[in-house]
Order: sequence, then structure tokens, then C-alpha cells
Amino acid sequence: MGGRGSVALLSISFLVVAGVAAAQQQVIGAPPEASNMRLVGYNDLQARSAYQPTIHHQGDRWIAYIGHHGGSDAIPDPVNPMTGKAEPNGTSIVDVTDPAHPKYLHHIPGQEGKYESGGAQMVRVCDGKSLPKGDRNAVYLLRAVGSEGHEIWNVTNPENPTLVTRIGEGLKDTHKNFWECDTGIAYLVSGAPDWRTRRMTQIYDLSDPAHPVKIRDFGLPGQEPGSTGAVPTELHGPISTGPQGNRVYFGYGTDKGGILQIVDRDKLLHGPAAPTADNLRYPEISRLTMSAFNGAHTTFPMLGMPIPEYAHDKDGNKRDIVMIVDEAIQNECGEPRQMVWFADVTTESRPMMISSYTVPEASGNFCERGGRFGSHSSNESMAPVYYKKLAFIAFFNAGVRALDIRDPYHPKEVGYFIPSITPATDKRCVTLEGVERCKVAIQTNNVETDDRGYIYAVDRANTGLHILELTGEARAIAGLP
Amino acid sequence: MRRLIAIAIAALVFGALSGVAAYQKVRPQGADDVDRHWQEIAWPYPRDGWPAGRAFRCDGCTEPIEIYVRPKIGFCNCDTGVADDDEVDRVADLDLISDRFAPLAPGQVIRVADLRGRVRAYDLDMPGGARHAAIGIAVSHRCDLLVAVAQGRAHADELQREAVAFLTTERMKHWTMAALGGG
Repeated sequence: MGGRGSVALLSISFLVVAGVAAAQQQVIGAPPEASNMRLVGYNDLQARSAYQPTIHHQGDRWIAYIGHHGGSDAIPDPVNPMTGKAEPNGTSIVDVTDPAHPKYLHHIPGQEGKYESGGAQMVRVCDGKSLPKGDRNAVYLLRAVGSEGHEIWNVTNPENPTLVTRIGEGLKDTHKNFWECDTGIAYLVSGAPDWRTRRMTQIYDLSDPAHPVKIRDFGLPGQEPGSTGAVPTELHGPISTGPQGNRVYFGYGTDKGGILQIVDRDKLLHGPAAPTADNLRYPEISRLTMSAFNGAHTTFPMLGMPIPEYAHDKDGNKRDIVMIVDEAIQNECGEPRQMVWFADVTTESRPMMISSYTVPEASGNFCERGGRFGSHSSNESMAPVYYKKLAFIAFFNAGVRALDIRDPYHPKEVGYFIPSITPATDKRCVTLEGVERCKVAIQTNNVETDDRGYIYAVDRANTGLHILELTGEARAIAGLP
Repeated sequence: MRRLIAIAIAALVFGALSGVAAYQKVRPQGADDVDRHWQEIAWPYPRDGWPAGRAFRCDGCTEPIEIYVRPKIGFCNCDTGVADDDEVDRVADLDLISDRFAPLAPGQVIRVADLRGRVRAYDLDMPGGARHAAIGIAVSHRCDLLVAVAQGRAHADELQREAVAFLTTERMKHWTMAALGGG
């Protein structure tokens, strides 16, 4: 090859390398990356780091309640433009009736503190008319407020919420609660001061939200007060199937030592309550111990799923499936890959992992983009529009991923949406040889859906709320027009 | 006569050596002396959720001691650090040696290479039925932990003294800071 040829080849190589590098890093002003998903509306959530969204159909309105982590080093208490005051991150309340024009209604301040140490991360919402002893005209919000405990708010008028009651105090931590709206039983993720773990379960009867009644404390044997020896992995959160299903699926761990624990709800609520190892074992049906490399952030049950491939089998053509979502916690792939697992729990005493899903790293050079790459959580709505058909996974810098789960033995990605970054998107840093190096990337932390089929993705790095809808093949799977 | 002189010289040499040995035994040990007694050995445990750390054996201690030390990046409350003894129970890798351990007493605040945390003594129930002491150490820098567990037949007080002395040698301080990202 001649000199000119070499120069041309070098130039092309340079352009290719530069292009790859550019593709790795998000840029303000660049369009979102998407497949079979489309942006419908957006709200900046006052640039607060977001955790759990819950979308509630309230009268003729649809209201999004969104929990927040604490503030950042740069902005510990962002200013609420509606009050003009600096407020520690708490709960955002947004009217999403018109998803193209979400309207921020109110911010309930949370606990002082930065990142995981502050805010009010978890929210669940129940109508008073579904709770056995609630005010039939009221709507109640249950939220976790860091070490300050749990709170119930009356959000009947979401523009002007009022505090109903507080539960627990002096806790080591709180996190991903679950509240059965038809019974009022709440599984509060707490850190009771005398337990050996930062997160365990305190079970309350909140059927009358103004008068909480404690039922019991629960956790894995070895976590209870006075025990010795190795301390099992801490709780992340439970999901109950209520009195009909009579099961509670507990997920333990974030990015390590995950455990799916299947518990008999009736024995849990009515069995002996003293926190002894035997009493803690009594309601357990089985547990699936995961690899030391993966945790169990979300354990989402999908029971009685018809499996098309097994349709002509004389037995086992319906399966009880639990989708387990790990949580990535390290920036820039500093840990084993955290992803999504599907467990067949049809034979409850022997749950078995049957499949997994991850975003291909090379599809976006996600380890180079900055921040976390890996899964964090899934939607938890069991509304018919998506339940047992499509699942939505928050995958940090890979945005939201839509999975076709109709055959959970072979889950398949059918869409994705990676929001654009904004000037509010916070940096994420790693330390290399003593020097801190930071990048800015989307950090989709949680995702939820509503009964209409809208998808709500929120960002841990302060980018806000993106309201999405499906298009193309993915939309057809849901049967949406 | 020659024989007597030889015996006297031998006695003098023996006495001098004994004196040096005794002096070595009783004088305060410098960091270099401490470091010299510890030899690195292979990490003796199977793979778990954390990458393997470094393991050392002290053959120059009164009783042989082994220490296992490794960073756990992003495993600490960034604001409160190692807040209580329960956290030492959870994170300090005692379960690598045995799942069955019981604390001997409340732990203490400790400082290792500019990292603050806690140290606690334990009684280990080993698989063969034997029992011996162990020390769990957990110290933090921002959101990152350095954990160490030392075990041996020595008394817990001596285990703690030797383990802390070793972790504060220049070699280990440098390694610790590098392992925690140099920051």
C-alpha cells in the first residue's frame, strides 16, 4: 500500500475510534436511544434522585407518587420552586393524567441526609375504601423515611397531603415496603435496633391507617436479637400475594449473596411471634440461595403462567414463576454483572433458576459510559395490560428494557429507551490510582407501569421522570391499539 | 588452660546471644520488626462474593497467627461508617473460618491507616470441635470497607495487638490505601 493509502486508512481508523468513543459517552442535547419505545412526557422532579414510583388511579385523575434518595454532595437540599425553600428530598407528587404534560403538584420533604442516607425512598398507595378500616373517601400513602421510620399520609387531595401517623423510630434503616391494600397488612422493611441486620421485616396491621398495630418482627434465623455466628444477607423487600395466594416472596441482598425466600403468609401472620430461630423458620416454605455474585432486589411473582411451549404436555403446562432482579451498585462495572433471573417455583420446596437476561454490554459500551450498568428493579404493577406478558427493567445507564416474558424459559428483549441526559444529571465517579474520574450518564433506577400502559422511568442521577409508551412489536404483545 | 579459656569464651558468647535474644523479646518492636515476622501465604478460602484478599502468617509471634485482609468496595454506609458491633459481625469475614462464632465482649473503636472503625474479639467454634480466638476488624473510608480477621491459639488480647501492629506497618498501610482506590 502506498503512502496515500496508509494515510487514508489511518484517518478512517481514527474516525471509527472517535465514533466508538463518542457512542460511549452521553452528551447533553443528544436524542434518546430507543427501540419500540417512545417518550410521551417528562418532568424534572426538581432534580431529585429518584427511587420508587407508584402510579395511582385517584378519582378521575392519575397521580404518580415518587420516592427520593437523599440529596447530593453538591446540592444536599434542592430548592422546591413551589415553596422557594430548600427541602431535603422526600416524595414527589405529580399529576400524570395527561402523560404528555405531567404537572408537579407537591413535594413532601423527607429525612435530611445525602444519597442512601436521606430522603424517603419507598412509596406505596392504598385507597381507604379498599382498606378494612380506612376512611372510604381517603387515599393513603405509606412511605419509608430513612432511619426516622415510616409515615402514612392522607393524599386524598394530592396538592395538600396531611400526615396521619408515624411508625417506628430509632431504626437503623428502612427500605422497600409492601402494603396489601385489601387487608391493610404491611411488610415494613426496617432495621429494628436490637436486630443484627440493617434491614429486616416489621409486620403491621395498617387496616386502620391512623392506628397501626404491630404483628411481629421477621427475618432470617441468625439476624434476630441475641443470636451469634454468621449474619445472613439483609432484606431488600417482599411482595405478598395476599390471603388468596397465601405467599410472601422475600428478596434478600443487593449485588451479593441473594436469597429468594418463599413464606406461608398465614403462618407468618398467625404463627408464634417471638423472634427465636425456630419461630423464624416456622413459616418458611423454601428458599433459593443464589450465587454469591448476585443479590435479590425485587422478587416479582407471576403464578400460574401458561407456557406456550408446554401447551400439549399433560402436566406442568402452567408454571409458577418468580422474576428476580439484582441491583448493580458499583460504577463502571466494578462488580459481577447484576441482571434478571427467572425461577420456576411450581414445586415450591425445590425452586429452580430457569433463565436469565442481561443487556449485552457491547451493544452500548455501557461499562465505559459512566455510572452503574446492570439491573436495579422491575415494574411491580400486576395490572392485566402487562402482567405475565411484558416486564420492564430499570438498567441504570442502559435505561429501561422491555422484555417479552410470555415464555419465561426464554425471555426476549423487545424494546428499550435510554433517556437523554440534561444539565441536572449528576456525575458518577470512580477512583483510579488515587485520582477521582467522573462521567455523566443516565441512571434509570426504577420503573413502574399504570393500568393504561404508560411506563414511568425515574433516574437516580437527578434527571427526572420519563413517561414512555410502547410502539411496534412490543405494543402488539400487550394488545394495545 | 586452653580448655578453660575456650569454655569462658563460649559462655561469654552464649551469654551475649541470650542477652540479645532477651532484648529482642522485651524491647518495644518497631514497625520493621513487626513486618519481618509476617509472611504472605496463599488466600486459603474458596471464591465468594468478594475478590480474594491477602493472607499472612506470623511465625515470629509468641503463638502462630494468621490474618486475612481484603477491601469491600461500596459495602459501607458512606456517612456513618462502621457504626456498631453488629456491623463487625456481619462484614468482618469471620464466616470464612467458621459460621459459628460468638463475641467475647463488646468491641472497641479502632484506627488503622487513617481509617476508623471497630475491632471485636470472638470465640470460634471450629468444624472439628476445637475452639480458639479470633479478632474481627472493620474500618472504612467513605463508602468502602477494609476488613480483617485474625485467628490463632493466642489469647484474644495478643491476637488484637499483633494484628493491629501488622495492619499499621508501612507495607500494609500502602497496600490498604491502594486497595481502596488510593483515596
